[in-house]
Amino acid sequence: MRVTRDIGKLVPLATATALLAGLPFVGVGEFTITLLTEALIFGIWAMSLDLLVGYAGLVSFGHAAAFGLAAYSAGYFAREVMEDFFAALLVAEAVNVLVALVVGFVIARVSGIAFAILTLCIAQVLFTIAVIWRSLTNGMDGMVGVPLPKIFGISLASGTAFYLLTVFCLVGVYLALTRLVDSPFGRTLQALRASEERAASIGINVHLHKWLAFVLSWAVAALAGTLMVFLKAGTTPMSLHWTESGNVLVMAILGGIGTLLGPVIGATVFVFVRDEFTSRFQAWQFVFGLVFVVVVLAFPTGLVGLLNRIHGLRRRTRSAGEFPAVIKRIRSSLWRARL
Amino acid sequence: MASALVVQGLSKSFGALRAVENVSLDVAPNQVHSLIGPNGAGKTTAFNCISGFLRPDVGRIWLNGQEVTRWPPHRLASAGMARTFQITKIFSELSVLENVALAARSRDGRNLQMWRRANHCAAKEQAEEVLRTLALSARTDSSAGQLAHGEKRVLEIGIALALRPAVLLLDEPTAGMSSRESEHIAALIRKLSSRVSVLLVEHDMEIVLGISDVVTVMTQGRIIASGSPAQITRDPEVQAAYLGTAEPEFVS
Repeated sequence: MRVTRDIGKLVPLATATALLAGLPFVGVGEFTITLLTEALIFGIWAMSLDLLVGYAGLVSFGHAAAFGLAAYSAGYFAREVMEDFFAALLVAEAVNVLVALVVGFVIARVSGIAFAILTLCIAQVLFTIAVIWRSLTNGMDGMVGVPLPKIFGISLASGTAFYLLTVFCLVGVYLALTRLVDSPFGRTLQALRASEERAASIGINVHLHKWLAFVLSWAVAALAGTLMVFLKAGTTPMSLHWTESGNVLVMAILGGIGTLLGPVIGATVFVFVRDEFTSRFQAWQFVFGLVFVVVVLAFPTGLVGLLNRIHGLRRRTRSAGEFPAVIKRIRSSLWRARL
Repeated sequence: MASALVVQGLSKSFGALRAVENVSLDVAPNQVHSLIGPNGAGKTTAFNCISGFLRPDVGRIWLNGQEVTRWPPHRLASAGMARTFQITKIFSELSVLENVALAARSRDGRNLQMWRRANHCAAKEQAEEVLRTLALSARTDSSAGQLAHGEKRVLEIGIALALRPAVLLLDEPTAGMSSRESEHIAALIRKLSSRVSVLLVEHDMEIVLGISDVVTVMTQGRIIASGSPAQITRDPEVQAAYLGTAEPEFVS
């Protein structure tokens, strides 16, 4: 029983992975592959945010901090010490986890708006440091000259190779996180989302769980930041800016929070819509904003919820009437704005 | 036999308001001990101090002989003190089974396990057993938010029971229930008292007098009487304080 069920889940995932990995070999152009690489990296980042927002119910408005910090650490290490991808990733992980342990210890004491504002503050502090500390970061001009990454001594010179590495990372993160949210720890996070008081009353150490969720989220985001700094051969303080934190939140919500797959879809839609409209007119965010409003109002469970409805897959536990509280709040404020 | 829960000299003020003043309680094992009093008497404040959700200004608390004064709620829960809430607090987006299983896993100290699958824990069977005891088996896979009000109140108790507590603190378990549902809850509490000590805050006088071993009466933050239901109903001070006048129907 258990084995067949697990295989039943693995077949669609294996198919999707094969399809993704096969794209460069069936004539998809290099430009599209690069765009898709960026989308999937954002997907990893958005999944790391989903762990906080969709599962633990903690809305972070400063998730760019986890992304940009990793990008700077990995990029700096790769340029100054060695180009090895895993070594750079390890450095980025160490920095992110360390900062998240310290910062998260304080931030995990609060929830709701206070949590959102504190995360925003952290990101803005890092942004300011990146702008001011010119000797290390090259200020507003950004860090440049990050070399191509090497894996086991082989340089990933082609876009296809780097794309395949990204697909590999994405699938790995997806598998690990699906497993995590279904574990006792993952369920406990979902309990916190519903009621921290109730969770405490059944013996759950609320602070410890929120702290760990924060650190895990930053650890996953470190992978995304590392990939991105190699893809772009550098980074700028804008990777730490609050608009980026907003973007990743939009990606996650657009795709459907609390689903893990949704944020990946949301990130892909985001990147391709941006690419489509950014060349036509400057206010492309306007178009995206409209799409976002329509999705939140009409399909509160995001694009994944919409797909589920189309395919009649009603296996999901959350019914249409019970979408996440975060979405409820955004919806109600949108309706009010209309009046 | 040693007391399951001892509260000594508990006081709590909010600014100038003395919500609870010098309250002492002694809950014997396998007894139903009720805390009653008019609105604003400080019952819920006392309750929150005992369960760790408020920090008492003064006073000490012992659970099974171990001093637990100023312990945080999660630590108290792990030590064997389970509570319910006056305003239903359940994990409404999760299934009924998961609500109870969460508590069972918590008791087993499995909260931090990140790799094992939640459904493969022994907690699942324990949760199913609790749901059977409470006659909620039919709703096992329903989302908890979709239960009827009465069922939610029962689930509240189920979550607490899954902790296999030594002391169960029930904050108005029959709030908002029909009289038939209330009777069901009363019978349940009586049945539970064979395995657990109960501290009950309740408004429904019929229930309190029917199932309690000891009744403690509070007004304006202080205890004015404590004794068996029969003693309490005869106490003139209780009659005066609780009802304003000595109403004969109170006794019947």
